[in-house]
Amino acid sequence: MPLTATFPLPLFRRALGDSWRSLAGWSAGFLAALLLYVPLYRSIGGNADMSELLDSLPPALINALNYGAIATGPGYVSATFYGLMGFALITIAATMWSSAAIAGDEEVGSLELTLAHGVTRTQVVLERAAAIAVRLLWLNVLSVLVILALNDSAGLDIAPANLVAQGAALLGLALVTSMVGIAVGALTGRRVFATGAAAGVAVVGYALNAVANQSADLDGLHAWSPYAWAFGNSPLVNGADWGGLGLLYGVAVALLVVGVIALNRRDVTG
Amino acid sequence: MTQVLETTALTKRFGKRLALDAIDLRVEQGTVFGLIGPNGAGKTTTMRLLLDIIRPTSGSIRVLGEDPKVGGAPLRRRIGFLPGELRLEGRVTGRVLLRHYAQISGTVASGTPELLAERLDLDLSRQVRTLSKGNKQKLGVVQAFMHTPALLVLDEPTSGLDPLVQQEFLTMVREARDNGQTVLLSSHVLSEIQQAADAVAILRAGRVVTVSDVESLRASAVRHVAVTVADAPAEALRAAFAGDPRLASLTVAGGERASASGVLEGDINPFIRALAAFTVVDLRVEEPDLEEAVLGLYAKQV
Repeated sequence: MPLTATFPLPLFRRALGDSWRSLAGWSAGFLAALLLYVPLYRSIGGNADMSELLDSLPPALINALNYGAIATGPGYVSATFYGLMGFALITIAATMWSSAAIAGDEEVGSLELTLAHGVTRTQVVLERAAAIAVRLLWLNVLSVLVILALNDSAGLDIAPANLVAQGAALLGLALVTSMVGIAVGALTGRRVFATGAAAGVAVVGYALNAVANQSADLDGLHAWSPYAWAFGNSPLVNGADWGGLGLLYGVAVALLVVGVIALNRRDVTG
Repeated sequence: MTQVLETTALTKRFGKRLALDAIDLRVEQGTVFGLIGPNGAGKTTTMRLLLDIIRPTSGSIRVLGEDPKVGGAPLRRRIGFLPGELRLEGRVTGRVLLRHYAQISGTVASGTPELLAERLDLDLSRQVRTLSKGNKQKLGVVQAFMHTPALLVLDEPTSGLDPLVQQEFLTMVREARDNGQTVLLSSHVLSEIQQAADAVAILRAGRVVTVSDVESLRASAVRHVAVTVADAPAEALRAAFAGDPRLASLTVAGGERASASGVLEGDINPFIRALAAFTVVDLRVEEPDLEEAVLGLYAKQV
């Protein structure tokens, strides 16, 4: 066994190595969701009967679901995949991975053994967060590639640059969710708190956005919703929303810093 | 001798609970030092403090000359740690897991993990999650020893190991000591300390009850004695041992040859002097085991 050589990023590589099965499963899930929704654009979003159906629905529901622009390809993909199914799937993945990374590892007792070795706590948080970020990035790259591949055949007429912007927005949103899980896990060491906080931020963000969509009076609520930071300006239709992206990635980095500081400051219990 | 480990008034609170109360320990290089005590005595807390997994409430620690918090990762590369409640999971094989720990440890000589695994009769090609508790423990022992650390911190190392493997493990501990490494190990199974340790600290409720080398602990302990004398009535024997030296739980059997047996506390010399008045036919003095010695100390504290 060639053990003497030192390799960079041992914790990052182990986190990826341990999770490739899980990542393969999530990739299959994303693929299934994309193949289910995207090819149906012609028969749902671009369909006249469907437009009538949507017109008959309460406007409040349409606003909550962002289904207002569903009759166009970008609007359809934005509302169905990015706004709902992709968002739900990536939120679950980000929540599970991030709550397991610190708090879960601490609860099963293996964080203690890792920290007893020649690694710093900062390194543990950063390498594990990076492993999560890479997996989330992969799921978004996969989604972008699949949608691009289906772009012509499904008649979506999506501009590739806008699609990348939309993917970057979903990635940023998932990063915020996962860094909440990392930070709360590092603060408390309790998986249930990390899971609750990560999922809670995502769900509350979604709900705030849905409520804020209802009237101009409630528009201010958008400012408090990471979901609105990501999709409020419809990057798939309008192109990259740099302000929103900056907010998402900035908050994610800030949460990561909180996680690093928190784990460095407290006792790790087995 | 060089102090590999030194704690001064080391105190740790978990909320209101006082887990360690001003512990002073000194462990010299090239010795095997045992921490013994019942569950909750503070053994695991002490070890976690040495590894900077938890931080002291007050007091100071020097491990290999450094404060664990300041020494950080480079210091921990020179320590091998086996946690008390080792829980290893994962779909990877033992070999892959050891490779991972080797990458975050001190330098591991090529072939060492295989050699250690072979000595402990551990199959490295099996998935970690399928291993029994004892085999996971062996994996933990291998990862603690494989980089030949200057200090080994082993929390309940023999738990889950069968007797043959325990013996091999104790041989590894002695070899490490002979190699100049220092070993700190804890147990509530006292016999394993008795065989391996040069010195022990007995912990109870977060305090050090006593620090002693194993020999003097044994000397201070009770001995089982049995003596048979000729040409003396049983009453004479009883009288001889009723006062000083006192035999606790003395039983005397009369007859042609009178026999007495009992438990002798403390110094053995007065007992031998008292025997000099008799014609001794048979004498047995059983070496005390540490278990009784330690239980005696606990009893005095209560």
